Amino acid sequence: MEQELREIVRKLLEEGAIEYFIGYAEGFEPLHTTPCFIERGEQVQALVWSPLCPYNLARYLHQMKDGAGKVGLVVKGCDARAIVELVKGNQIQRERVVVVGIPCQGQVDLAKLEDAFEGAEMVEGKGDTFLVTVGEKVHSVEKERLLREKCFSCRHPISFEYDFVLGEMSPLVYGSESEFAMVEELERLPVEERRAFWRAQFERCIRCYACRDICYACYCQECIFESKAPRWLEKTTTPLDNQTYHLIRAWHMVGRCIDCGECERVCPVGIPLRRLYKKVEKEVEQLFDYRAGMRVEDLPPLVTFAAEEPALSSRQDRSER
Amino acid sequence: MIKKAHLTQWLDRVAQGYDLFGPVLDGVVQFKRVNSSDQLVFDYANSVVPPKNLFLPQTECLFAFRREEGSIILEPRGGLERERVLFGIRPCDARSLLLLDEVFNGDLEDTYYQEKRRGTILIGLACPSPPQRTCFCTSLGIDPLSPEGVDILLTDLGDRYLVEVTTEKGEELVGLSQELFFPSAEGEKLKGEKGKSLEEVGEKIGSLWEDGYWRELSRRCLGCGVCTYLCPTCHCFDLTDVGSTLSGKRFRCWDSCMFADFTRMAGGVNPRPTGKERVRQRYFDKFSYFPERYGVLGCVGCGRCSQYCPMGIDIRTIINEVIARGAK
Amino acid sequence: MSSNIYLPHLATITEIEAQTPDTTMLRVTLDDPTLALSFTYRPGQFAELSIFGVGECPISIASTPTRKGFLEFCVRAVGQVTNALYELDVGSKIGVRGPYGNPFPLPELEGRNLLFIGGGIGLAPLRSLINYVLDNRDHYGEVELIYGARSPQDLAFKDELKLWGEQEGVTVYLTVDRGDERWRGPVGFVPSFLREIAPSPQEKVAFTCGPPIMIKLVMEALEEMGFPPDHMVTTLEMKMKCGVGKCGRCNIGSRYICRDGPVFTLEQLKALPGGLEL
Repeated sequence: MEQELREIVRKLLEEGAIEYFIGYAEGFEPLHTTPCFIERGEQVQALVWSPLCPYNLARYLHQMKDGAGKVGLVVKGCDARAIVELVKGNQIQRERVVVVGIPCQGQVDLAKLEDAFEGAEMVEGKGDTFLVTVGEKVHSVEKERLLREKCFSCRHPISFEYDFVLGEMSPLVYGSESEFAMVEELERLPVEERRAFWRAQFERCIRCYACRDICYACYCQECIFESKAPRWLEKTTTPLDNQTYHLIRAWHMVGRCIDCGECERVCPVGIPLRRLYKKVEKEVEQLFDYRAGMRVEDLPPLVTFAAEEPALSSRQDRSER
Repeated sequence: MIKKAHLTQWLDRVAQGYDLFGPVLDGVVQFKRVNSSDQLVFDYANSVVPPKNLFLPQTECLFAFRREEGSIILEPRGGLERERVLFGIRPCDARSLLLLDEVFNGDLEDTYYQEKRRGTILIGLACPSPPQRTCFCTSLGIDPLSPEGVDILLTDLGDRYLVEVTTEKGEELVGLSQELFFPSAEGEKLKGEKGKSLEEVGEKIGSLWEDGYWRELSRRCLGCGVCTYLCPTCHCFDLTDVGSTLSGKRFRCWDSCMFADFTRMAGGVNPRPTGKERVRQRYFDKFSYFPERYGVLGCVGCGRCSQYCPMGIDIRTIINEVIARGAK
Repeated sequence: MSSNIYLPHLATITEIEAQTPDTTMLRVTLDDPTLALSFTYRPGQFAELSIFGVGECPISIASTPTRKGFLEFCVRAVGQVTNALYELDVGSKIGVRGPYGNPFPLPELEGRNLLFIGGGIGLAPLRSLINYVLDNRDHYGEVELIYGARSPQDLAFKDELKLWGEQEGVTVYLTVDRGDERWRGPVGFVPSFLREIAPSPQEKVAFTCGPPIMIKLVMEALEEMGFPPDHMVTTLEMKMKCGVGKCGRCNIGSRYICRDGPVFTLEQLKALPGGLEL
């Protein structure tokens, strides 16, 4: 598949169909890949693909505003939802992007991998297993043991036209547990316990802004947290400041979060951000029967006005509390 | 020497007379205040947030102020109520404190930092072998088995720790549970290997001011604060008043040169307007400016920046690129 | 027992004099009487002024240390703190930390002719040195001042400009970018005005302060006119917080503007990475 990808990209570049291509390349460590920007045909050898490519490269499409030409990138099914939303939000024009869909069958959680196999050097996907290379030996292990949490609720856009696909783009199907299970678990707790849970999580926050900076949806020219007048938040990291940051961000994710899981992956102090945004996602789905990233034609409920629509109160009756 | 089984006994004695800080699992491993040793973890490579947090807290109140009878009363904060002991600091972080000392000492001494520094005794933990994948301290001339920069260094020898005491304060701590310690047999002192020295990166980076590499890097870099906040030698901070003109506090908080508005002045002028200038600034500061000011490279090879960078940018790749592309 | 470098001294505003539509001069006395008399500084240095509850910002000291008991600051209302400073009344309390920064190189100026080139509020730090020189007149040679602003209203220190021009051995050239009905003087940007006047570089040190673009063009002009780079001095502006070289914000290359600057010669700037890009 890597070869096929490289050929497609080489052609695109040599024909001048795109200015540059965003893909995955090897990092310094065998288990770390890193995004790469390819501008010339001879650079395509750098492109790789494996279950160690978690980055949502659609995030880099924010940079398209600074140019005029076409850009190519490789996306997993989950990442493609970001492109749907970026088009919906008028942040990119679909014609300017050449999208190569790569059939991902699950990404590996590095922490789980290192716990299970010390000294792992390489991972490949094979059917329902991951093949982990440690030195001379190759171990076959059940996918579920190493899979990233978010992959258990794998979701692709309902309709999306890739310019190229390297195989069949179909989501992983796992388990019978509701994808909102981790939210429902908290919802069953009394308010004080829920508050205590989140307070403990937010206290750890070091306000590095990695969660904001990696999010495809955070493309505001001036972020609310950078506003000087009014100044909503200083750099102080008191529990109240941290809580304010996360709640405002959750609010801004309403109707926009695609659960790509990048925020939780990059948080250095392990705050379970997916759980927070999943709650927001659940509310939106139940109130408006809407999910972000599925179809470009779907109208985002919070920015759409219809002369005739059900009142919020009647919608609220439908949702669980 | 001290038997492993006795370590926690000793630490509990220490916790009686000092504020004891050590590695704790709070989601991830962090150095936090503990009341007893059973809150500590011992199976860890290093903390996520480096122990610079104990000396340059992320959020620190410098003073409170309030209006009173036509004037303003200022109440300075800072200082320590009790002496502290930090257990579990690694040699790379111990070296980082020596580097931060260069910044906060001098003719204009930062008393907030100094009081905490002088009031904290360090019990270091030598690093196990093999090191973490992202570690490269030996390339910065740091020995992961050396007691440099700490009052006591413990080296794990299986069922016991080798205890090297380098200061009087260390002796005092050992003295709290003298009966638990016994002399070591000769030849037990280990020495770490020296890695490839990186003096070259400091010599060559200057020639790359106009090089396109920084722009390349800035395409991948998100401009978040992970590398700077987790870096043991980063010390940039912001001063900010909280409250109102009637009463409030002045705080010092961590800031990051990677943030877009770090150098932006009132009126909008920004000498580092794009990611390229900011990425370049970070690496020049570590490998050119810091050594120019203080005579030593500003990195300790702890590898946190590489480990936690959201986009997998590895400082070792950058160091190698600089050595390859640069000229002396 | 070291003193606390982050704790400001309290001071009171004793006089306010509007200079231009957006700048005002604050005259300030330190509350502690011993400190008020013993506080020394040199021209070119700055202080961090606090409005407690709003924040702190660095402002050049515009007064001369030869006149004791007070400090003068020229404030342009452009940000949060400066806007708050601009709104203060006589009697208001502020905080002062300082003096900080590398001053003008006084010993090297003994006996020399001095050329000052200022733009807008950039005249404020130069004013400190000009008045210092005039208070020690026989130590220095000829003094020339070339000063310009956007419009006649934007010329700062208007009374002093007149006073200086009346002194022996002092020549003042004024220009504005745009005149008004009453303006009878030259019209044009400072760098081109400088080239017209074409002062000789003989035994002379040139000092420039103003908007970054003006400084750049003035330096180019001076170099072409034969001024050596170590005889061209400027004072730079960067965003600052601590003022004492610890918060890591104000550096150009390895130099912190708050410690090794804000005064630099062109020769020093040329040696710094990115030094000329400002």
